[in-house]
Amino acid sequence: MTGTATGLIGIAALMILLMLRIPVAFAMFLVGFLGISALNGMSSAFNLLASESFTLASSPELVVIPLFILMGNITAATGMSRQLYDAAYALVGSIRGGLASATIIGCGGFAALSGSSVASALTMGQVALDQMDRFKYSQRLSTGAVAAGGTLGILIPPSTGFVIYAILTEQSIGRLFLAGVLPGILLLTLFVLAITLICIIRPEFGPPGPRTSLPEKTLAFLKAVPILGVIALTIGGIYGGFFSPVEASAVGAGAVMLITLFRRTLTLRIFIEALRGSVVTTATVMLILIAAHMINPFLALSHIPTAVGLFIDGLGLGPMAVLSIILLIYLVLGTFLEGFAMLVLTLPIFFPIVTGMGIDPIWFGVLVVLTLEMGLISPPVGLNVFIVKSVAPKVPLSEIFLGVIPFWIMMLVTIIILMSFPQIALMLPNAMKN
Amino acid sequence: MDLLRTIADRLIGLSATVGSLGLLVLVGTILYDVIGSQFGRPLYGALDITIMSFVIVVFGGMALCDRRGGHISVDLLERRFPPLLNRIIDAGSAVLGAAIFVTLAWAVYESARISEMLNLSTNLLRLPKAWFQYALCTLALVTAFGMALRAVEIALTGRDVRRDETPSR
Repeated sequence: MTGTATGLIGIAALMILLMLRIPVAFAMFLVGFLGISALNGMSSAFNLLASESFTLASSPELVVIPLFILMGNITAATGMSRQLYDAAYALVGSIRGGLASATIIGCGGFAALSGSSVASALTMGQVALDQMDRFKYSQRLSTGAVAAGGTLGILIPPSTGFVIYAILTEQSIGRLFLAGVLPGILLLTLFVLAITLICIIRPEFGPPGPRTSLPEKTLAFLKAVPILGVIALTIGGIYGGFFSPVEASAVGAGAVMLITLFRRTLTLRIFIEALRGSVVTTATVMLILIAAHMINPFLALSHIPTAVGLFIDGLGLGPMAVLSIILLIYLVLGTFLEGFAMLVLTLPIFFPIVTGMGIDPIWFGVLVVLTLEMGLISPPVGLNVFIVKSVAPKVPLSEIFLGVIPFWIMMLVTIIILMSFPQIALMLPNAMKN
Repeated sequence: MDLLRTIADRLIGLSATVGSLGLLVLVGTILYDVIGSQFGRPLYGALDITIMSFVIVVFGGMALCDRRGGHISVDLLERRFPPLLNRIIDAGSAVLGAAIFVTLAWAVYESARISEMLNLSTNLLRLPKAWFQYALCTLALVTAFGMALRAVEIALTGRDVRRDETPSR
């Protein structure tokens, strides 16, 4: 049997295992281990397992994962996210659809403290949905805003999606983080625009909230200043070359601990649960990464990436056409595959093609992460939609899926804008010091 | 069975605590190093401590991750499968997970023996690499034990501890 045939059987087996609900990491381990054994012998697979698991678990640049997760967990558990929401509410709450816009802005702020979309949707859902219910917001708009706003967590740095992309493609985590800033702000703005348009067309969807007085506004902002300070310290520190991403993650986690200790919101119980939650999430992400380093060599040995590359070369398409096709594939895959699994499984095939065509890997990374983000709210397995459903159990799932459609369209618009103007993503990383 | 579950939960809780302590060490080390560097006194061997405590963080959380049902899977067809098939899949994936972690522990154990033989250690503090590889093996075996027990429980009683309200000690 040829290597390519073995590879195709491996991919088919992997898809069957995934559809059978076998955890993504286990399925990749099994297929990778057996595939390498078939192509290169059992001892080769065994040695790879030993070396990759220890090498990745002791990889210094991956230390950002638990530290940024810890920062997000403490922020969520101590109610700091509420202050972000309150500040955003003071800014836009009294206009039509303002509560939904405040939710989006709050999600963007929380995303800058947490690398997780799920954490963003869950935390903001708990804070904002009740408030929007109280002011008779349409459930479609309120749940859609939370589900979509939560996805900003994967684009706005620190983002776990960027860390995984960086490790799989050997790109700079710092540069990728910075590349996500402006597209993240652009997307956030388009989300707010979508809410405004919805409320112009259907004013009953988002009635204005009560006005806040200037002292109330000032107080809300003052309370949010330390959180904004942490964001400025971490992201600004990376941009200014003061910190590496790892240092920024530790400084961010330390700063959040200090602030919450000072405010007496960090209890021992919350702290222990935040630590445990962080090691659990780290384990989830790291096991997928280790499994990826088992299956990727198998795919390389099977020569499937080369065959796909040659096929695409043979089509004679230009870089933008190829890029569009790849992103279209991601959009389709994102409707039924988990985002990280999708990255891990497809990057070894697509990345060499993309870089071979001279496409900037950082720009490509932003586009890919953005399509992952779309997968988070695409039926039938949009994870964030289910998270919102868990916070708002009385809202039908179909209503939430209808609610995310305008935001999904805005994500598509963002992709088109980024494809037309790559400098939006590349401006900050190119200006980065060090 | 209850006794085994109690033992497993305590081991899972212990490894998560070890992982959490590793995470605290990680934060403390990097923070100390960053602040120290500003005053011209970086922490000697900070990178050694960082990378070795990261090993503990990663594998310390594996058992609790499984106990809380933290592994990502595609549950697109779950509701379409009959309950018996879902039960078989749950038990089967737990067996597969246990087999993977036993194999991983075994592979790293073999590698640790080589590290010991060659006296491999970290660059500055000369921490023996084998210590951390053995720690990884132990934590991987605790994970495998938790998964194997979960498979037996699902097969014999239908109980899946991942759906329990109180995740772990």
